[in-house]
Amino acid sequence: MKKYLFLFIASLFLASAAFAADSQIWDAMRVQNILGYGQEGSYKLGQLFTMLQANYFAQVYLAVLVGVPAIFVLHYLFLGPKVFSHDGKKIYTFSLLSRIIHQIAAISFIVLIPTGFIMMFGSSFGGGSFVIMMKDLHGLSTIAFGIIVIPMFLIWLKDMFLHWDDIKWLMIVGGYLSKTKKPVPAGKFNAGQKTWYWMATLGGMIMILTGAAMYFLDFNIAMINTMTGLSQIDLLRVSALLHAVVGLGVVILFFVHIYMAVFAIKGAINSIITGYKEEEEVEYLHSSWYKKLKKQGKI
Amino acid sequence: MSSEMSRMKFYCDDDRCIECDGCTVACAEAHELPTGVSRRKVVTLNEGIEGKEFSTSVACMHCTDAPCEQVCPVDCFYIREDGIVLHDKDICIGCGYCLYACPFGAPQFPRDGAFGTKGAMDKCTMCAGGPQETNSVHERELYGQNLIAEGKVPVCAAMCSTKALIVGDAQDVANIYRARIASKGKGVQSAPYGWSKAYGN
Ligand code: SF4
Ligand code: SF4
Repeated sequence: MKKYLFLFIASLFLASAAFAADSQIWDAMRVQNILGYGQEGSYKLGQLFTMLQANYFAQVYLAVLVGVPAIFVLHYLFLGPKVFSHDGKKIYTFSLLSRIIHQIAAISFIVLIPTGFIMMFGSSFGGGSFVIMMKDLHGLSTIAFGIIVIPMFLIWLKDMFLHWDDIKWLMIVGGYLSKTKKPVPAGKFNAGQKTWYWMATLGGMIMILTGAAMYFLDFNIAMINTMTGLSQIDLLRVSALLHAVVGLGVVILFFVHIYMAVFAIKGAINSIITGYKEEEEVEYLHSSWYKKLKKQGKI
Repeated sequence: MSSEMSRMKFYCDDDRCIECDGCTVACAEAHELPTGVSRRKVVTLNEGIEGKEFSTSVACMHCTDAPCEQVCPVDCFYIREDGIVLHDKDICIGCGYCLYACPFGAPQFPRDGAFGTKGAMDKCTMCAGGPQETNSVHERELYGQNLIAEGKVPVCAAMCSTKALIVGDAQDVANIYRARIASKGKGVQSAPYGWSKAYGN
C-alpha cells in the first residue's frame, strides 16, 4: 500500500511544485536539453518520440478506433450475445460504495477517452479553442478519476489476484468464441475483468502521473530526476511515450468493457446500477463463485 | 546546391560570441516578449572542460524537416519557401509536443490564465511574424515584429556587435563560415555547431 500512497503524494507534489521559479527546461537548463539531444549513450528519446508521434501513434489509435468496434460487430453478428434469464433470482454483487466509485470512474472515462481522441486527431477538428476546451475537460475529469482511483483499487483488490480459473478462462477466451452455454471457470471476477481492473487502476495511475507531468511541464521535483536519471525534458518525453502506449491498452480494454456490459451479455450493465446480477448469469459466467456461494448456503 | 539557394539559416560563430546576451535582449525588446520567455538565448556548452568550452546563441534553428512540425497534433506549423518554420497560435493547443521533439529547446509556453496553464507555444519566427495579415496589429501582438516582410535583417543578428550571429541565405552563410574557418587556419570543418541536427548533412 505504501507504494500507492507514495504515488499519490508524488502527484500532489507535482501540483504544488508546478510554479517553481527556476525553469527546469529553459534558462540555464537549456544547455542540458541541447546537449542531451541524441547524445551518444543516451536513449535518444527526442528522436524516438518524434518518430513514433509523427508516424505511428495516431495511426495505431485510428486502427483501434475503427478495428475494435468492427470486431465487435462481427462477433455480435456471428456469435451473438449471451442471453440469460432475467426472471430468476438475483445475486447481490456490487455494494453501494463500489457502485458509486465505479460510476465516478465511468463518467470520467466517458469524458477522458473521447477528449483524448479529439486531441490526438486535433488537426481534424481544426485545433484552436474547441480542442483547447477538450484538453481542459481531459484535465478536469482526471481530477475526478484521480480522487477515486485508489479507493477503487482497494475495494476490489482482494478479488483480483491471479487464480487457476483465470488460466482456464483465458484458454477458452471466457467462452465468448462459442455459442454454447457452458459454465465458464471464474470467481467473482473473471480473467477479463481482472485484466481490465489492473489496466484501469495501475495503468490509470500511470496515465494520471504522465498526464500531470505534461500538463505542468516545467516543474521541479529533483527526487524524480535523481530516481530516474532523466533530465526534465527527457522525463516529459518518457511521459508522452508512456501516455500514448499505456493509453492504448486502456482504450482497447475500455471498449471491450463497454461491449461486454452493454451488448455481449444482455442486460449485464444493470448489475453495476442495481448491484444485483442474474442468478443464471452467475451460474454460467462465474461458475466457481456460484459453487462457492452455494456451498456457503448464500443462495 | 541550387535547392539551397533561397533557404534561410542561422549561424552563430562560437569563436566570436562573447556571451554578451545582446541578442536575447534585442529579441525580447523588439517583440515585446513576456517575462520568462527567451526566444533566443546565449548558452555556454561544455562549461569547465578545457579547450571545449564555448558560448553560442541558440533559438529555433528553423530545421529542415522540422521535428516540431512532424509531431504537432493540430498541424499548426507551416514552413515558408525560404525554410522559415512558423506556426499559428490561434490553432496551437499548447500541448508541448513540439518542445519534446525539438533538439534545441526552442518552443516555450508563457503561462496563461488563472490556473497558470500553459498557453500557446512561442518561439523564434526569424522575425517573420505569423499567418495573419503582414504587419497587422494581431500579427504583432501574437508574434512580434515582421522585419523580414520589410526587407530587414532579424534583429538579433542585426545588433550582434562581433557579428558572431549571422542569418541569411544558406549559401551566403556557408561562404562566410568557410572564409572565417580558412582565415583562422583551422582546416576544414564540416559545419557550424548545431547544423547537422538542424539541417541534416
Ligand atoms: S529548432 Fe525546434 S522549434 Fe525550431 S524548427 Fe527545429 S524543431 Fe522546430
Ligand atoms: S504546443 Fe502547439 S505548436 Fe506545439 S505541438 Fe502542441 S499544438 Fe503544436
